[in-house]
Amino acid sequence: MTSRTRGLWDRYRSASPVTIALLALVLGLVVGAVIIVATTPAILNAWRGAFHSWGAPGHALKVTFDNVGAAYRSIVTGSIVDPPQFWHSVTTGRGWTASLTPLSETLTYAIPLVIASIAVGITFQTGLFNIGANGQAILGGVTGVAVATLVHLPTVIHLPLTLLAGIAGGVVGGAIPGLLKAYTGAHEVIVTLMFNYVASYFMLFCLLSTPLQLPNQTNAISRTMPGGTQLAPLFGTASGLRVNYGIVVALAVTVFALWLLDRSSIGFEFRVTGANPHAARASGINARRTLVTSFLISGGLAGLAGVTWVAGTTHYIDQNFLQGSAGIGFTAITVSLLGRNRPIGIVWGSLLFAALEVGGSNMQANTGIPYDLATVIQSAIVIFVATPVLVKEIFRLRALRAESVKVATAGWGS
Amino acid sequence: MTALAADAVAKVRQPLGRTQAIGWFVIVVGLFTVFGMGVGTGSAPRSTLTFTPIDVSHGAPWHLGNLTLPTEWTLVLLGAVIVGLGAEVLVRRLVKGAMVRVGLMAIVFLLAVLVWASRQPGPSQVPFINLTAILVGSAAITMILIYGSLSGILCERAGVVNIAIEGQFLGGYLVGEMIDSATNNWLLATVGGVVIGALMGWLLAFLAIRYLSDQIIVGVVIVTMFTGLASYFNSWVLTPYPNLNNGNIASNLAIPGLMKIPIIGPTFFDETGYFYLMMGLVGLVSFGLFRTRWGLRVRAVGEHPQAAASVGISVERTRYINVILGGAVAGVGGVAFAAIQGQFTPSITSGFGYIALAAMIFGRWRPSGAVAACTLFGVSAYLAYNLQSYQVPISTEILLMFPYLITIAVSAGLVGRVRPPAADGIPYSRE
Repeated sequence: MTSRTRGLWDRYRSASPVTIALLALVLGLVVGAVIIVATTPAILNAWRGAFHSWGAPGHALKVTFDNVGAAYRSIVTGSIVDPPQFWHSVTTGRGWTASLTPLSETLTYAIPLVIASIAVGITFQTGLFNIGANGQAILGGVTGVAVATLVHLPTVIHLPLTLLAGIAGGVVGGAIPGLLKAYTGAHEVIVTLMFNYVASYFMLFCLLSTPLQLPNQTNAISRTMPGGTQLAPLFGTASGLRVNYGIVVALAVTVFALWLLDRSSIGFEFRVTGANPHAARASGINARRTLVTSFLISGGLAGLAGVTWVAGTTHYIDQNFLQGSAGIGFTAITVSLLGRNRPIGIVWGSLLFAALEVGGSNMQANTGIPYDLATVIQSAIVIFVATPVLVKEIFRLRALRAESVKVATAGWGS
Repeated sequence: MTALAADAVAKVRQPLGRTQAIGWFVIVVGLFTVFGMGVGTGSAPRSTLTFTPIDVSHGAPWHLGNLTLPTEWTLVLLGAVIVGLGAEVLVRRLVKGAMVRVGLMAIVFLLAVLVWASRQPGPSQVPFINLTAILVGSAAITMILIYGSLSGILCERAGVVNIAIEGQFLGGYLVGEMIDSATNNWLLATVGGVVIGALMGWLLAFLAIRYLSDQIIVGVVIVTMFTGLASYFNSWVLTPYPNLNNGNIASNLAIPGLMKIPIIGPTFFDETGYFYLMMGLVGLVSFGLFRTRWGLRVRAVGEHPQAAASVGISVERTRYINVILGGAVAGVGGVAFAAIQGQFTPSITSGFGYIALAAMIFGRWRPSGAVAACTLFGVSAYLAYNLQSYQVPISTEILLMFPYLITIAVSAGLVGRVRPPAADGIPYSRE
């Protein structure tokens, strides 16, 4: 073994966080495969006859691998690149839109996910749970669309104002659990969970009975944001690729989060409070102020994620905005845990989870297997990341340098 | 976090100040009922109460006539009751009982809104209030919540936070509905619910006890996972095989004789088997936790695991058993949900698992308290959902927010007055 491969082997055996994350991905895909096998009629039928003749078990295995393989292949080709199509574009110089669409879609979906996950990560770093990022993102989307459609201004002012309105909406959503926890002690997990439902109904209310609603409509659908308030596609509308200038917003948020957590004094207070609340208090950090600030920043970013998604992709909201499987605020919790609540880790985690979501839709289109499988795989990955000892035991890794994701929120905090 | 919040609470806690705020708030609501809704409803309207249940398939209770009330005076009276509750909080300086008075206020106030909304002549399309129907409907919601709360109590008394109740509801609902659709047998469905709930409880226990993971994180992720799995199942299995989701509901088992009592009969004695099972479980858990050796051990593990271990109790085993039991109870709750609601849809549990958890905290980790809290949530949720049919000048979406807003308000008004089991949520390791 050369020293270089030995170095890699040691790195694998040492269970660094990155190793754990990659192995968790493998395990997550295994869980997904098991679910596909257990629920897909074609595979089950093949196994039903598996012991009737000599060739049947082999056939059943082949059917299994074909089906699972087709599913996972569609995830990859739908989210990163489809090699034959790509090769076709390289050789003929045509069809670039089709070749780049998977990557563009993954980036498009990753944009709000990065922002929302950083929002969640900031509270995690403070030792707080913000499970209401989805509700805050919904509020951000609603206020953003309201400002975009109801105010008339030149683009230079209107676009920033729209984004700011989104932040403001999210801040309101973050202020509620923050202030309630600081001044009454209400546990933020319950408040934020309940707030998600309140925000969804509030959105419906706004879409059904206010100036926000598209005129002459009875459905819950908003007016369309005027062109000047949209985040334009990066390569122009003609390119057909949806990836948009929201990517700049996401990068800015990442840089902001890096600065906030590593360079600013308030970020230092967040991390000290998260690591050891006793030490934080003893050193004179105002617990209540830290808590509220953390929630305000988190809520604001979640709101920004909501408005960035609307302004970059759909340009209007309807009753399905961020509902169910589309709830990026819930995916953000898992992304943040996967990225160990660090901005850079979150960016990688967002790209992975966005690829899973986008690829999942492609899988559904090609094989019929519902894209909700992506959610299951994502959750499984995070469960494994949250229990590194389990991963270590499964893969028989030597040392455990990786600590489990530490969030100091034991019990109901009262 | 515990310590931080405790410090925050210690600084905030001025019981009298908060009690006064609550008292005055209740009084303001009462005054609004008297003067905002009551006085001057105009042209002497009347509100009618009826007591005939909607579902009389097992025979109706003894008939009670309609009760017609003068709307104005009824509202003044109800408002006065609310003012009285607020005054009681202020005068007796209630600290512990303040939130209970707020709960009573919520119910009386919603009743007042009903009286006001159904007045004739008035804008209402529903010219009467069916008190029996309200109680029957509330009992159904309450039952689901109590299953969830009992699950939470079993887990948290042993020191494990089970935030995955919502997921266990969903799992029990899905499995129960599928099994009943396939076999037409609710007993088998219940067994299925027990199994899936216990499995989910085991998963939580395995990760939280063996690997000392953060229980809230693991719980939330388990919910996310099963929400995804349920949607997956819904479109991959239930849509192609609709006869696995044919929306059966369980028929009621009326208790002869007792069900003849007006109002009470239809509410308590003409219910599905799950209702009686729930009542039995409340008694069993209550007795088990506070009157048996098993309960003493569980509570010891939840309060001070080191001390429990030092007298030879296996902390891990106790926690495993309780979390699995809790999961099973929540799983049955999911089946019960299916038995009254019918067809499965992916977001059917709509946060009830979390509301049940809040009710458990409100009920101070006691079965009896949880029953009271769940009743409060159940009645107010039912009333909020059903105010839509009256022409109240509040939009449907705002009304639908009510159960969640009440949960937020309650958890904000409580803290400092409730104390969870001391080791709740803290992983235990022998080293």
